[in-house]
Amino acid sequence: MASNDAHNLVEPGINLNAPTCPNREQRAHGINVYYGQASQLLIDAREGKLQAKDRDFQQTSGCALNFYLAVRLNTIRDAAVIYHAPVGCSASSLGYRELYRHVPVSLGRPENYDLHWITTNIQENDVVYGAGNKLRYAIREAERRYSPKAIFILTSCTSGVIGEDIEGAVNELQPYIDARIVPVHCEGVRSRLVQTGYDAFWHGVLKYLVKKPEKKQKDLVNVASMLSYTWQDRLEIKRILGKIGLRPNFVPEFASVDQFEQLSEAAVTAPLCPTYTDYLSKGLEQEYGVPYFLYPSPMGIRNTDEWLRKIGEFTGKESEVELVIEEEHKVWQPKIDALREQFLKLKGKGEKLTVLGSLGQGRLLAQLPFFDEIGLSSPAAMSQDFDNLILDEVEQLIGTVGDFKILVNTFQAAEQAHVTRQLDPDIALTCPFQGCSFKREKGLTRIHSLRADAHPRSTQSGYAGAVACASFLLQSWTSKSFQKTMLAKTRDSYKDWWYKQPDPLHYLKREV
Amino acid sequence: MAAVIEERPEDVIYPEVMEAPRYSCALAGAYSTAVGIYGVVPILHSGLGCGIGQLFGQFYAGGQNAGGPQGGTSTPCSGLVEEHVIFGGEDKLRRLIKSSIELMQGDLYAVLSGCVPSLTGDDIESVVKEFREQAPIIYVKTAGFLGNSYEGYELFFEAVIDQLLNKLPIKKGLVNIFGVVPYQHIWWKGNLRAIKEDLQKLGLDVNIIFTEFSGLENLIKIPAAELNIVLSPWNGQRVAKKLEEKFGTPFITLPGVPVGPKQTTRLIQEVSQALNLPTEPVDELIAREERHSYRFEEYFGDVMILAFPQPYFSVVADAGTAVGIAQFLTNEVGYLPDKVIIDDGTPEENREEILRELKENLECVVKPEVIFDEDSHRIRENLKKGNSLVLLASSLEGPIASEFGCVIHVTVSFPSYNRLILDHNYAGYRGGLRLMEDIVSKYCGPL
Repeated sequence: MASNDAHNLVEPGINLNAPTCPNREQRAHGINVYYGQASQLLIDAREGKLQAKDRDFQQTSGCALNFYLAVRLNTIRDAAVIYHAPVGCSASSLGYRELYRHVPVSLGRPENYDLHWITTNIQENDVVYGAGNKLRYAIREAERRYSPKAIFILTSCTSGVIGEDIEGAVNELQPYIDARIVPVHCEGVRSRLVQTGYDAFWHGVLKYLVKKPEKKQKDLVNVASMLSYTWQDRLEIKRILGKIGLRPNFVPEFASVDQFEQLSEAAVTAPLCPTYTDYLSKGLEQEYGVPYFLYPSPMGIRNTDEWLRKIGEFTGKESEVELVIEEEHKVWQPKIDALREQFLKLKGKGEKLTVLGSLGQGRLLAQLPFFDEIGLSSPAAMSQDFDNLILDEVEQLIGTVGDFKILVNTFQAAEQAHVTRQLDPDIALTCPFQGCSFKREKGLTRIHSLRADAHPRSTQSGYAGAVACASFLLQSWTSKSFQKTMLAKTRDSYKDWWYKQPDPLHYLKREV
Repeated sequence: MAAVIEERPEDVIYPEVMEAPRYSCALAGAYSTAVGIYGVVPILHSGLGCGIGQLFGQFYAGGQNAGGPQGGTSTPCSGLVEEHVIFGGEDKLRRLIKSSIELMQGDLYAVLSGCVPSLTGDDIESVVKEFREQAPIIYVKTAGFLGNSYEGYELFFEAVIDQLLNKLPIKKGLVNIFGVVPYQHIWWKGNLRAIKEDLQKLGLDVNIIFTEFSGLENLIKIPAAELNIVLSPWNGQRVAKKLEEKFGTPFITLPGVPVGPKQTTRLIQEVSQALNLPTEPVDELIAREERHSYRFEEYFGDVMILAFPQPYFSVVADAGTAVGIAQFLTNEVGYLPDKVIIDDGTPEENREEILRELKENLECVVKPEVIFDEDSHRIRENLKKGNSLVLLASSLEGPIASEFGCVIHVTVSFPSYNRLILDHNYAGYRGGLRLMEDIVSKYCGPL
């Protein structure tokens, strides 16, 4: 059996001499189009049959820059971000001053902080004559204005297509600039997969920002935490790790630059979202010997147990971990059992509610076992993308929860609406990026939260998160008035025939 | 410490290198305009992130609005990647248009092409022409680097005029409204409705184009109008001029969407003069509407005087919004204008008129400092030098308003992440009342 690390499935190693990472297609045969049984997907992947096929109908879904990086990178607290791009590529960064202001200072948000980003605002004449001097100006202006510790340069389709020499500008200016300059190659055209943006970012972090360890910090656990997981998730992880004498180092969002510099000193890199953390974890091990694991994520009781045990192994805290697990189970397991019982009563006759989640690869692995734990069944799941980095884990997942149908697509709203209607799950876990598929008769709620949602209700990680998340799902079942009203009273985006034909991948380009 | 930098050719100052300018790109503006017209299906010929980037950065930023049934992730997009940069994206576009017409409910399909096909030289016109027989379809070349969101609005309508509109007999009493840019002007939906309701009282047939179910019909009847009304000192001017050239439709320009009785009366008077409406019923209408509005203003007299009479205020907004709010607060409620910062990139040639409105048409000995700037860093530095109790600005200023000594911050301009704006607006006779509700509610309480 081929494992995730088999060379023909995943590019081995990380080459920090290169300006950037390979894209996910090259690195791990990443795809974002598939519909079938997960077991078959696994076979196809291992046989190297996954192909990034084109669709004749496609909807806007995000690029390496404009899905994640443009929204959140600006929250690194003592850094500045430069978009080397036309003005529209950074519009999704306009929430920077407000994004995490809802997090109360009493919950650990620093009272005073100031975030900064600049656009080089590439214009028509720059396209003709080049925008290199503008970039140089922007770097120096960022230094003058903000005295940041790091300056991230985020590239764009336009800077890429016109052939801007980013490394040239960085190498030339770095001796004159106090801030560490970190180029991130996130040109949208370089990949069909938004995850390439994660790898490109971590490549820049590993190459330019992480320092050689001055000392090893045996109690430090790296956790790459995107804040579509919540502030409460961070607090919960901090609480549990604190009980065993460990400290989380949460990067990148809302971190300070020194937290990146210290990534090399940690005892272990632990996942929240494995697909997000993958490149960082492997790079830190390769360059600085920081061990890592990618599975499981701390979602649900059993996964959290295992997550802690893995951390225990790497930090020599095995016995402390067992004590904490025992203690936590006493508090939380009865609550989970009670919630499970309530879920099982809803349909009666031992029938489980079905749930259809629109998940990233990471959440796919983390949440299906959790749904199983609380008495929900997931006969199908949607995943933003899929690549060979998670094959062993998917096999393990099928072993745990049984086989399931999987639709792989990155926010292809028409396909998601089709599958949601076809499978008609009791609860659809959507995110707002699914067009009209929220209009339905049955249950509906969200997965991701806005603005790092600091309310305990939105916790998903750890033990407290398992209980909060189960309650959250249960609550979603109590009213369907919004989605029902919208279904009845507004027009759908698509013509009727779409739902009458059987194939969500109707527009898959067949001839290859 | 880094080495001291020597003078270099790039020491040239690039003023367009800015922190957080308060708009998106030309593609975003054309996309917003398309989505604002019901039944238009935008088809993005661009990278995959262009649509979702504008969902976050233009639609959500424009008052936390979703994109509707054809916007956001529902929007078809060709998703150009490296192979299309090398081999061209025309075939991809052709397949996408075909499938979009098959699948998406809509009345008009609008291909909006972004930076990548502009750089690679895709022949969009030829591809679009292949579909002219199948469905109403237009294309708009809106490479992001061509300009900002406001530019995208003009580009969209220029394409509509060139590719969709035909001369029609003039329909008496029909007027079109231009200059309100969907999402970018965060009050667009409510403003248009309020203006329509006020102008309808003159017996006019008011074509606001956006928000109504008859989107395509509204576009097609544009050439039948007797008059075009531009409610902005610069947005929509190019559209109105082009319509005048092509169809002979005269137009009038107001400095912004009118806020409160005085400005609305000015609109009513200018429109009725342009259309030669009989004066007596117009005067009666004005008297009736003003009486009503001022009767309601009496209700806020106590709390306003108790809370903060004659406060200095500053505005950070697009030109039209800034003029409307500054004139209302100064001329009708005795507020003192401190700084008016216009953040929409108003072209040089339109600035003089705005300055005139903000000096001569403010009935106050205190005249504001008027600043044209789009750089959020410089705007912040400027506000720090100010002296305002009340700040009418964007949600960017929310978290830092106390830096400027402001007690009150109300979001009135783009971006507006901290206000959900559906129907709310400050337009028309009663718009000033709503503005005062928003300002005073931030401060009032028990005696």
